[in-house]
Amino acid sequence: MKKELDFEAGIAELEEILSKLADESTPLSEAVALYAKAADLIALCNTSLQNAKLRIQEIDEKLLQSQNSEE
Amino acid sequence: MNQIIDVTTLNHYAKAVLAADEGLSNLIICGEVTNFVRNQKSGHCYFSLRDQNASIKCVMFQKSARLLEFAPEDGMLVLAYGSVTIYERDGAFQLYVEYMRPYGVGAAQRAFDQLKEKLGKEGLFAPEHKKALPKVPTGLGVVTSATGAALQDIKNVLSRRWPSVKVFLAPVNVQGPEATQQIAAGIRMLDHSGMVDTIIVARGGGSREDLWVFNSETIARAAYACKTPLVSAVGHEIDYTILDYVADLRAPTPSAAAELCVPNREDLLQKIFIIQQNIQDSMQLRMKMCYNKLISVQPERLHEESMQKVALQAQYLANLQLGISQNVAELLAKSGEKLSVKASLAHSLSPYAVLARGYALVETPARTPIAPANLSAGDCIMLHGNRVQADCTVNAVRHFEEENHEKRA
Repeated sequence: MKKELDFEAGIAELEEILSKLADESTPLSEAVALYAKAADLIALCNTSLQNAKLRIQEIDEKLLQSQNSEE
Repeated sequence: MNQIIDVTTLNHYAKAVLAADEGLSNLIICGEVTNFVRNQKSGHCYFSLRDQNASIKCVMFQKSARLLEFAPEDGMLVLAYGSVTIYERDGAFQLYVEYMRPYGVGAAQRAFDQLKEKLGKEGLFAPEHKKALPKVPTGLGVVTSATGAALQDIKNVLSRRWPSVKVFLAPVNVQGPEATQQIAAGIRMLDHSGMVDTIIVARGGGSREDLWVFNSETIARAAYACKTPLVSAVGHEIDYTILDYVADLRAPTPSAAAELCVPNREDLLQKIFIIQQNIQDSMQLRMKMCYNKLISVQPERLHEESMQKVALQAQYLANLQLGISQNVAELLAKSGEKLSVKASLAHSLSPYAVLARGYALVETPARTPIAPANLSAGDCIMLHGNRVQADCTVNAVRHFEEENHEKRA
């Protein structure tokens, strides 16, 4: 199954970044890079959550029929 | 005068007359089952349907009988779908049943209980077989009518809560003779499509009769075999169907099914917002800590420290200087000593020092020393002794050999 944007993974990554930022032993340069990454990720998640439109695809009737005839 | 005909012709004719009458085909007959017999070998079913006043013989061939969703019993009220005709061999007027379902509260309940007990014993409702729904589905399969209210309800909830999900609709009839097979096929098709990770089987509210289809054994088995987590959403809160027992999750309504299948994006946005706040806070804290570290190194202290360093350097330099001058003085002293030794040596070798011992030096009148060998008779010379000078004239010059001089000495 093709995954587009995995929100669960996105949130998990954000939480990981947060814990790294809270850790004093993370070098400042790394912290700044993580901060930038988090900002991008947040923007991406927010945009896709807010702009998503429900898509509905009807499964082909013929496919349904062929399944039926297998009975 | 009427024509004489044989029995075969009569029955054949009667059958043709009945077949021509559209009112006798595609019937739905309501009646009570009596004398129900299923031929073990052929699988055909023979019985009668009756009401208070009349009865009719019925046949249900194996092809249709195997699709029966319940076990007909004597006394059960049913709806039988089929056509009537004459069985020519016996001249029997009978109903050929293609589809049959229990009718009325009593019969339906009886059939429901039968199937529930049977499937329960087989383990189709076992809790350990229930699969968990994914937290966030990417593909959501929906088996329902393309025109029904159920689909509309599901779409509304999904659009509001989680529009990111892709919906795959298996459009089916949710009532009528084809409904059972279509719904079962829809479940299988979505399950095998590889495009969905959750399936909802839904139907809007309706009468108990309307929902009867979802008490089908065929659908129950399709749901049980389905590897994708399946949610049943048939009718209203109070309606329970066999599918509800087999499904991995039973939702009281189609809307509720949609709610159960997807997270709420508002919640997620809120969660992201909180994480964002926390990230901001820790970054700010981090910056503050860095700033504090910086100002703790005060400029005054920095100046003091550098002054100390300079003083140390100056001290070092002074020591160095002292060392150098001492060395130089020592060197000078040593050189002076050496010089005075050399000087006294030089003094002892000075021709003027010899004069003190009574010798005289021969010089020209211009006070230039001159070697005696260079003298000629008549030269005016000056003898230079210790604290004395004598002007002289050379009378004669005689040169001696080295040997003579030796002899004289």
